[in-house]
Amino acid sequence: MKLSDLAQVIRSKNAGPRRLTLDVMFATDADYQRVAQSPALGPEAVGRLYGVPPEAVTVIPYPAGRAIKIVLARRIMAGDPGDVDVYGAQQHAPLLGIEL
Amino acid sequence: MSASGRILSEVRRARRPLRLLGASGQLGYGIPTPGFNTGLARQPDLIGCDMGSIDIGPTYLGKGEMATAPEATRRDLRKVLLAARSLDVPLVIGSAGSAGAAPHLDATLAIIRDIARADGLRFRMAVIRADLSRPMLLEASRAGRIVSFDDMPDLTDDDITEAAHIVGQMGTGVFRRALEADVDVVIAGRACDTGIFAALPMLLGFDAGLAMHMAKIIECASLCCVPGGRDPIIAELDDDGFVLESTNPERRATPTSVAAHSLYEQADPFTVHEPEGMLDLSNARYEAVDDRRTRVSGAVWHDTDRPTIKMEGARLIGERAVLLAGAADPRFIAQSKEILPKLSDLVRDLVCEDQAQDYTLRWRVYGVDGVRMVVPASEAPPGEVFIMGECIAPTRERASEVVRTCKQYLLHFGYPGRLSTAGNLAFPFTPPEVSLGPAYRFNVYHLLKVDDPDALFPMEIETIQG
Repeated sequence: MKLSDLAQVIRSKNAGPRRLTLDVMFATDADYQRVAQSPALGPEAVGRLYGVPPEAVTVIPYPAGRAIKIVLARRIMAGDPGDVDVYGAQQHAPLLGIEL
Repeated sequence: MSASGRILSEVRRARRPLRLLGASGQLGYGIPTPGFNTGLARQPDLIGCDMGSIDIGPTYLGKGEMATAPEATRRDLRKVLLAARSLDVPLVIGSAGSAGAAPHLDATLAIIRDIARADGLRFRMAVIRADLSRPMLLEASRAGRIVSFDDMPDLTDDDITEAAHIVGQMGTGVFRRALEADVDVVIAGRACDTGIFAALPMLLGFDAGLAMHMAKIIECASLCCVPGGRDPIIAELDDDGFVLESTNPERRATPTSVAAHSLYEQADPFTVHEPEGMLDLSNARYEAVDDRRTRVSGAVWHDTDRPTIKMEGARLIGERAVLLAGAADPRFIAQSKEILPKLSDLVRDLVCEDQAQDYTLRWRVYGVDGVRMVVPASEAPPGEVFIMGECIAPTRERASEVVRTCKQYLLHFGYPGRLSTAGNLAFPFTPPEVSLGPAYRFNVYHLLKVDDPDALFPMEIETIQG
């Protein structure tokens, strides 16, 4: 099963112009637990998808929102020359196909 | 007595819950009228609107222009002004004019004065400026009171001197000062969105943790609901918590949707750092009142004895022009990664025949890797692509010269195995080169350590005489 088949929300956005934050949210506690305990959304796996080392990835479980938050440093500051996504709103795409 | 004085004395005399209307998370893009009217019918004690953000990028701040269209901005401002005056409640607007520097604030004030004249409105207005003075910043920098965060390079004197505008995100204290000054309207430059809604309850002795948490949620209007949306939201705050309800009956504020909103645009869902302290959400509770209202409690506020102001500044980096084109030839698409750098070299040799290269030129191939940071190697090539060439040069003319040259030579660029010898590009219209005006980048995104954060943000009171 792919992450996009299980999650209710998979989104990305800037958290300030130098950080990218990815939120994955689930409809039920069971779905949340299944992914929260899996290495599929761990720093190594996410780092590979975004081409950054695992140390640059922070994964924060947030049970109250049945959500997992991932924070990455942006490679290019929002709006700097060479940026491709000023709001950071389309950087969730690599997460969609994660196999659970 | 003006609206803020009236509400303050009324609630101080007979304490009761406060009702706040979060009218817009980004004023100037339209406020849905049915929801807004529903919110007004609930007799709010304050109407608040956020008008800006850093998300929109550096150019609006640098250029001193609003992101929203003037007519839409005027329509929204008129809607909230008329409503606040007819209910005689304070209207509080933060981050005026998208980026909250002097030109944005002044443009917002000009629209407000114009509306007041046309509609015969009279009111007292507090205006709070967010621009930070360069001499003060240079001195603060030398004294080591400017610090980097999020891996931003250290701030240089040159950054301070060269930024077109530098603003600070004001905290809740200045909004409290404004509301205490007995006013009807508060218009602030760049501000933390929390001050818009938290200042009134904090002045009345409501719990700061609850007030800040509520403010953090309702500044985004009904975004905390399922389905999320832009309709205004109502919060009712008492001494133990607050209840959220969207003004659109189709939007439900559920415990999960409200809790999940803590994630939005935040690097940490449990703590929110503000100029005057830190909001701790780790013990926040979210309970359903019914299927479209949620009660929130448990947030704790911690004052800091080391206040910091987040600064934002943008500097000019040149004039931007782009070339817009499509392509559908599989051989051209397959070789585009080799063709485009070669084309860049070819163009450089032409436009730099008698001078050094004074511009940057970047290519984005949409359909291939225009958006993503990493593209899986196994991905099949697309059937067609959109190509954007972007030049930033010292002048508008130079940027235009570069992309116009690119257009002609990319159209006719020869590459191995080329079959389409009449042209490589599809233009949806001509001219396909567009001058976009000045380009800026954020060169200030730092923290300023201050003793008194309120002292940075001067307030003036203006009496509008209709």
